[in-house]
Order: sequence, then C-alpha cells, then structure tokens
Amino acid sequence: MPRVTVTVRDSGGQGATATANYTITPPVLGGYYLSGGADPTADMTGGNFRSLTQYRSFADGYVFPGYNRPWLVTLGRAGVQVNMVLELKHYGAPDTGPQTFTVDGVKYTVPAPAMTIQQRPSTVWPKAYGYSQVLAGQCDGLFARALSQYRTMGFGVNIQLASELDTDHEFGTTEAGKQYTWAESDARAVQAVTYIVNWFRAKELPQGTTFSVGLGGFDRACYQRTHPEALMSRLDFLQWNVYATNASHTALDRFRRTKDWAVVDLGPVALSRPVLIAEWGVRVAEIPDQAGWIGTVPPAIARLNAERGPIIERTNYFNSGWGTLSPKATGLAALRAAYARPPYA
Amino acid sequence: MAAPTATASLNATSYAPGAQMLLTVNYNDPDTKALTVTVVVTDTQGNSSAPVKVGAVIDPLTITVTDDSGRTWTRVSDNGTVAVYRAVA
Repeated sequence: MPRVTVTVRDSGGQGATATANYTITPPVLGGYYLSGGADPTADMTGGNFRSLTQYRSFADGYVFPGYNRPWLVTLGRAGVQVNMVLELKHYGAPDTGPQTFTVDGVKYTVPAPAMTIQQRPSTVWPKAYGYSQVLAGQCDGLFARALSQYRTMGFGVNIQLASELDTDHEFGTTEAGKQYTWAESDARAVQAVTYIVNWFRAKELPQGTTFSVGLGGFDRACYQRTHPEALMSRLDFLQWNVYATNASHTALDRFRRTKDWAVVDLGPVALSRPVLIAEWGVRVAEIPDQAGWIGTVPPAIARLNAERGPIIERTNYFNSGWGTLSPKATGLAALRAAYARPPYA
Repeated sequence: MAAPTATASLNATSYAPGAQMLLTVNYNDPDTKALTVTVVVTDTQGNSSAPVKVGAVIDPLTITVTDDSGRTWTRVSDNGTVAVYRAVA
C-alpha cells in the first residue's frame, strides 16, 4: 500500500511527521464483443483489450469453447478475462425437443424447454428451459455437459447466468401453460439461478471461476428483485448493460443509472461486489459522432469509480446490434484510444 | 523551543488510475510568529523618510512531502497552517 509522508521541521531542527496510506485500484479492463460471436482476435490485437463477453445457450452441445471457436481458448490462455453468458434460452435451433447425451460416462436425458420468455406482443416468443424444470433437477445434464467442457479450457471464467433477466421477463413468462407476471418471473429466476450457482459451486471448478446474474439494468424494481442478499452472497459481480440511444445521453449518465439505483436499493453484500459491464454501446443512428462519445467514457468511468459504491472493473464494448461500430475503423480506433487512457491503462 | 505538529489526510483512501489525489497538511508550531519590521529613517533636522515595512518569520517551518511509490506531490496552496498538495493516481 503506497504511503505519503509529511515532515514539518522548524529552524532548530525539531520536526513532526505524519503519514497517510492509500491504494490505487487496478486498471479497469477494457473489453469487447464481436457480432455473431465471431472471432474478435484481429480487432483486439495490438489494443489494450483485456476482457471479452461471449454468449452460449445451455441447449447447445458445444458451450465451451463453442462450436468452431478454438480462438476463445487462445485468448483465455493469453489472459483475456472471459465473461461467459450462459442462457437457459434456446437460441432457436430447429430441434427444440428433448436431448439425450452422455457426459463423462453418465447418460442424461433433458426434456424439451417448457418456458417462453421475451413475450413481446406480435413477436415469436423464444423458448427457454423453465425455472421449474431447473428446480426439479431436469436440467442438471445441461450443467454437467457445460462443466465437463469448461474443465478442458485451462482457465477460469465468469459465468453470467442469463443475458438480461429484465428483457426476458418484462412481458411476463409462461411455463407449462401457466402464466407468470414480470415480478413472479423475477422471483422464480432468483430461485433457479441460486440452484444453478449452488450446483456449480458444489463441483470442482477451474481456479478463478466467478458467477454473476445478467440484467439489462433498465428497470429499477426488477434490478432490486433480482439482487437479494442471499443470492448476492453466492455471486462475485454486479452486472448491467449500458447503451447510448439518444442524442442527450452522456457517458456519465448512462453508466451511472443502474449504479445509482443499486447504491440506494441493494444490501451491503451486493454493494461489496465489483461491476462487470457485459455490454456497452453507442447507437450511431442517434449519435453520429460515435467515436466522440466513446472518447468520453474513460473520464466517466474514472469519476464513477472515485465515488461511493461498487467499482466498475470491466467494460465490454458490444460491437453488434445497437452498439455496431460504424464506420468500423473509426469506431474501433476510438475504442482503442479510450482503452489506452486511464482508468484503463 | 516547542516542537511543530502536523497531520496529513487524503481526500480518499482508494484512487482509480489517473484520478486527482488531494493531500491536506495541517501544521503548527507555537514558536512560529510572523512579524513586520517597520523602518523609518530620521535625520538630525527631524525629517523622516516614509516608513518601509519588511516581513519576517521567527522559527519558520519547512514542509517536505515524500511518497514511497515515487508519486510527485505538487503544492497547490499554503496559508501558513494548512497546505494542500496534489498528485495524479
């Protein structure tokens, strides 16, 4: 711990000494995600990219490192901190039926997913393994399969359960014909996530394994409902996503919105956890100077981390959807410049 | 002669890289006195010069700030009892 020493001395040589200790927080990890889960290596090479988000469905037979994704092993072994978003959501493969497979000599049969989420009117509602299915132990085979693959990677990752529970639940959910409100869905998800984290934590895990739960962070009541202290005692990070989608949005306002709610609403265990921003992005349609906005992020993060409350430790730019860098070269150059500055470097 | 006293406090205990750090030093010594010497020169005819004032300090104090991490602290202000220094985390 660094120490500053002050000595006050008079003309006769008599003195008084006082000291003050302080700590410098480690640099914030600048991170990335490339559209479609594509290989981001080329975009990251030569820049101060130290963190990465990936998305996988538990329904997929290839969760770690993912189908045709050997580069994830290379990046992870090179020290890039990986945030693996593992979802009960089925990504829409043609076969959404039951699965039978063998993991480490044990045969598992997992039923078809029985829940629908993201029930936005006039859209096709995605299927997901249901929270009741999880609690009944029917999805244990999915977790065993993912864990067996994870153990071959050679490094620890953060396992973020769900991408955005608020997005999944905001129009309610349905499992096995029974409808649940947003709030009911949140409560059920907390139970299911607790089950999954406990299931993994009871097994031998690669060193450095951490856990978090995924939220967009756009709804205050949902954020509070999904972060009870009992669950937070099993999790290692707070997480939310950050998007600028309006010309009036500033980096400071957008990064701080969910933090400000959390500081008021959550308990001491939750607030002792650092923050992992799994996605952040700037929508170029409303903010044509995407690069300029990206340049305002480092001072915003530095200021937030100088304030009370949880420290933001990782911020992963989402180069897809709302955050698509356009033109890519300009946006990527701005991102590289931002990550080369304090508090990232 | 009395010994000086000093306290040092930082505006935070933890800093992000690049953040501004402020150090406040409160210091005192009962012997330290600021005084003003006023000089008036008078000739034999009784003509006096305009008074000239000179400041002086009895037992002045010197403040030294060191940092074991090699950080450079720059003085921002000093009013004789409170000095503020700044560094970059």
